[in-house]
Amino acid sequence: MWPKEFDYVRASSVDDAIQQTSDNTDAKILAGGHSLLPAMKLRLSEPGKLVDISRLADLKGISANGTLSIGAMSTHAEIAASADVQQYCASLATACGMVGDHQVRNFGTLGGNIAHADPASDPPTVLVAAGATIHIKRSRGERSVSAEDFFIDLFTTDLEDGEVITRIEVPNLSGHKAAYVKMPHPASRYAIVGVAVILEMDGDTCKSARVAVGGATVSAMRASGAESALSGSSLDDAALNAAASAVQSDISDALMGDVSYPESYRQAMSGVYLKRAVKAALG
Amino acid sequence: MAIGKSKFRIDAPGKVTGETLYPADIDRENFIHAKVVFSNKPHARMKRMDLSAAEAVTGVLGIFTAADVPVNEYGLTMFDQPVMVGVNATGRSKVPSDVSRWEGDQVAVVVAETPEAAQAAAEKIQIEWEDLPLVHDVWDGLKDDVLVHPEAGTNAFKHYVIRKGAMDDGWAAADVIIEGRYEVPHQEHAYLQPEAAISYVDEMGRITIEIGGQWTHEDQEQVAHALDMPAEDIRIIYPAIGGAFGGREDMSLQIVMALASWKLYQKGETRPIRSQWSREESIIGHHKRHRAVVTTRWGATKDGKITAVEADVYLDAGAYNYTSNKVLGNFHLCVAGPYEIPNARIDSYAIYTTTVPGGAFRGFGAPQGAFAAESQMNKLADALGIDPLELRLMNCLHDESIAITQTPMPAGVSIRQVVEDCASASQWHQPLADAEPFQAFQSLAADKSNIRRGRGIACAYKNVGFSFGFPERCEAKIELYGSVEIERAVLYHSAAEVGQGTHTALRQMTAEALAIDYDKIEMVLSDTAFTGDSGSVSASRMTFMAGNAIKGAAERALEAWQNEDRPAVGQIRFTPRSTDMIDDVTGKGDANISYGYVAEVVELSVDIETGHIHIERVVCADDVGHAINPNLVVGQIEGAIVQAYGYAVTENLRVVDGRILNPRLSTYLIPGIKDIPLQVDSVLVEVPDPQGPWGARGMAEMPFIPLAPAIAAALHDATDVWFDKIPLTPENVIRTLRDNEKTS
Ligand SMILES: Cc1cc2nc3c(=O)[nH]c(=O)nc-3n(C[C@H](O)[C@H](O)[C@H](O)COP(=O)(O)OP(=O)(O)OC[C@H]3O[C@@H](n4cnc5c(N)ncnc54)[C@H](O)[C@@H]3O)c2cc1C
Repeated sequence: MWPKEFDYVRASSVDDAIQQTSDNTDAKILAGGHSLLPAMKLRLSEPGKLVDISRLADLKGISANGTLSIGAMSTHAEIAASADVQQYCASLATACGMVGDHQVRNFGTLGGNIAHADPASDPPTVLVAAGATIHIKRSRGERSVSAEDFFIDLFTTDLEDGEVITRIEVPNLSGHKAAYVKMPHPASRYAIVGVAVILEMDGDTCKSARVAVGGATVSAMRASGAESALSGSSLDDAALNAAASAVQSDISDALMGDVSYPESYRQAMSGVYLKRAVKAALG
Repeated sequence: MAIGKSKFRIDAPGKVTGETLYPADIDRENFIHAKVVFSNKPHARMKRMDLSAAEAVTGVLGIFTAADVPVNEYGLTMFDQPVMVGVNATGRSKVPSDVSRWEGDQVAVVVAETPEAAQAAAEKIQIEWEDLPLVHDVWDGLKDDVLVHPEAGTNAFKHYVIRKGAMDDGWAAADVIIEGRYEVPHQEHAYLQPEAAISYVDEMGRITIEIGGQWTHEDQEQVAHALDMPAEDIRIIYPAIGGAFGGREDMSLQIVMALASWKLYQKGETRPIRSQWSREESIIGHHKRHRAVVTTRWGATKDGKITAVEADVYLDAGAYNYTSNKVLGNFHLCVAGPYEIPNARIDSYAIYTTTVPGGAFRGFGAPQGAFAAESQMNKLADALGIDPLELRLMNCLHDESIAITQTPMPAGVSIRQVVEDCASASQWHQPLADAEPFQAFQSLAADKSNIRRGRGIACAYKNVGFSFGFPERCEAKIELYGSVEIERAVLYHSAAEVGQGTHTALRQMTAEALAIDYDKIEMVLSDTAFTGDSGSVSASRMTFMAGNAIKGAAERALEAWQNEDRPAVGQIRFTPRSTDMIDDVTGKGDANISYGYVAEVVELSVDIETGHIHIERVVCADDVGHAINPNLVVGQIEGAIVQAYGYAVTENLRVVDGRILNPRLSTYLIPGIKDIPLQVDSVLVEVPDPQGPWGARGMAEMPFIPLAPAIAAALHDATDVWFDKIPLTPENVIRTLRDNEKTS
């Protein structure tokens, strides 16, 4: 449980961090360290150098101006407590508030969380459902990518060496009914299954629905079958049951399991949790 | 009276403040460090071992292997395991030593100046293995295609029978017959303190091991046997022990550390050696509660009289016997439950496989047997339309009963009493209130429509002490100091304080036996240099045995006091009444000294969409005979129920291809504070055991035993589905519910 020896430097700016990680592919960005250090201790990751971005003011702060902008270095606890997040995308605050325990929420960051892309993470599921955009800086300038395209596979994202996530942008969803629900792993609290729903309602009818699933799948992903089953319905039991079976087929090619919670169980739970998410969204 | 009071635990202040040292806390500035190397091979023959690269690592002081062990064999009840697997063993043992039969077999112990050097050298040991075919489970084992121990001739190395009455008559008299197949899993002890020890040669030239164990003198004997030395040349000391539950009965570091200290001492190296296992090493390196399969058939008349019981028990012993042959004996008796059974045919087998050995764990075969027996009783009750409580009262053993072993039950049978007391304390005859939504810790609050509520009952018995002919003993010595009045008394005793509070109970019983003030009692404990053989803290036996020994020693010491001896000394080796090994052909025999009795009612809710179980209340009535210390007894009941909850619901050891896949507490899920039953009501029943000191009865395993079948019964009450396989993980519950939807 000891990491391999490594060097440590504190980046002086975002550009400095980019340069230090572009020049040296053996170097890795260090944010809150709550995913990277455990991986290093298990020798799953053996970087020769860590470039610490945790004190860069540019990467901090949450603001709401038409859209919500969350600095990559914002901690889970900051996001959970932010009035702006609660107003624009309350289910993201819920998800961040459900991450791990107090220590993890006080140290772990949204940028680190999505860059790590642990399939059992919570925030990615909400970001995918919400249609968030990830803003990335690199030596050649800046680029952005939708959350849906960002998460590719187990621990795999669209991010390349020498790129730094600067902020995460989320549309204003304050007029929507939304929820994030999860079954936490009893030991780590990571999601065994997590479901995010964002519903646009017209009276009692669901005009449109966005649904994303995580935990049960290799990465956070949209569930389009479930979305169509909900859209246009009155969200009655029949619609919920149809959506619950649709979500299970939506994710059937991307399932993930472990010794305690096999794929088949997680798949079944995606349906259960979808129904519970809709009920929670309708409050 | 010093007994019957909830005296404060004498070990509590030191443990709470951190002053008390567990083996891994002991710090000597000149420690050198040992690393035990596991084979990491579930089944393979060692062809060659090369230590040269490892020995060349800077700081290495010695590497010891099979070739260094004078008698390279180990086993608590039969020698079937090499102390270390290796090619150049001395041949002074009949046990073939070149085969690793389990991933946790030990191959070397490396001693070095630092733990890092020991680790580095361990990684440089080069071994050439020839892989052998695996024996995955009991079904594989029964085929006997691959023999784990060819010299045993078969993998099914132990077989017990019961042949009682006439089965044809039993089936003919039955109006209802229930068939069942039950599967019970491994369980890891998960004690707080992973294995750790220090070893050195003491000032008297004795090889000394300070370690957590359960029986100092057994450790001493096992080390002496392997090192081919007289027992008195080996000294075992128990510092504070961080839990045991049966998991410290077998040897972990004892023999290899003794070997290392002895070998190095001969080379002039006298520094003490220290070693400690990680959690992963602990889970991989020591035995588990046995997994098993039972197929069984019970018949009863329509008025609820049991007429016949038939059972086949398949116990996965794993790679070595450890205590499997003894665990199997208890299982064998418990699979018929605490009932009068006129006709019985039971066959029980212990089967070698190339997986982690099964061994001692609180309940010692009884929980597995009770899961089958009590589930059968609940199914019978359901089929007959008789209240499961009433069905038990109609059939339970009493003082005049003939046991399943065809001999009279030892006096003091109290199963009826515990069942009745449990029923009244749990308001069994009142209807259960409606289900309320619950927030299972792991889950989301379900709405009411997905919650089912249920209540279930189970009861059990288990032997106190090892018995089956084992020569039970427990020594105690008491010295009395003073002139006219006894000013102080010193008790010498070896009972291991594993957290159960035994030292407090010993002190209370000594004060009681001497009729002097509790504060005047001093104790010298658990050091073979000073204290006599107490037997193991296991089988719920220590209060029973030690109390009797203390009474005897006190009587003699008081006699000597009357005779004006100063100090007045009384010493005794208590031996309870003798017992029999059961007969090979009929299973007949007076197998056990005495039994403990227990009944439990469980109230639970289950979320039928997620499979999460939420236990609202457990009522446990345990006959403790005479509560020497009521608070400690309640502690044992609550602790046992939490541990049994883990066994029944959350703990799921995965063994694939001979390897444990989840040797970590992040993946092997013991219950947390928010998982465990919300409320435990402990009912202390006190029907004196005529052989027990002051009537005290062994009790600490009993509350573990009926919990799993009581949960299964409550789940059936809630869902109308029988659950015949534990653990009842959410996944298992959902799968079982769905399978039943399909078939019904
Ligand atoms: C006990 C425990 C329980 C947890 N439970 C949960 C849970 O329930 N739900 C959940 O979602 N998560 C959980 N987590 C993970 C937690 O959310 C992590 O904090 C988070 O995933 C990583 O954030 P970090 O800031 O610590 O990143 P770090 O560990 O510092 O970095 C993680 C990875 O991201 C890279 N990285 C970090 N920041 C950037 C950036 N700005 N640009 C580019 N790359 C970057 C790093 O190079 C590294 O590869 C848990 C963690 C622990 C230790």
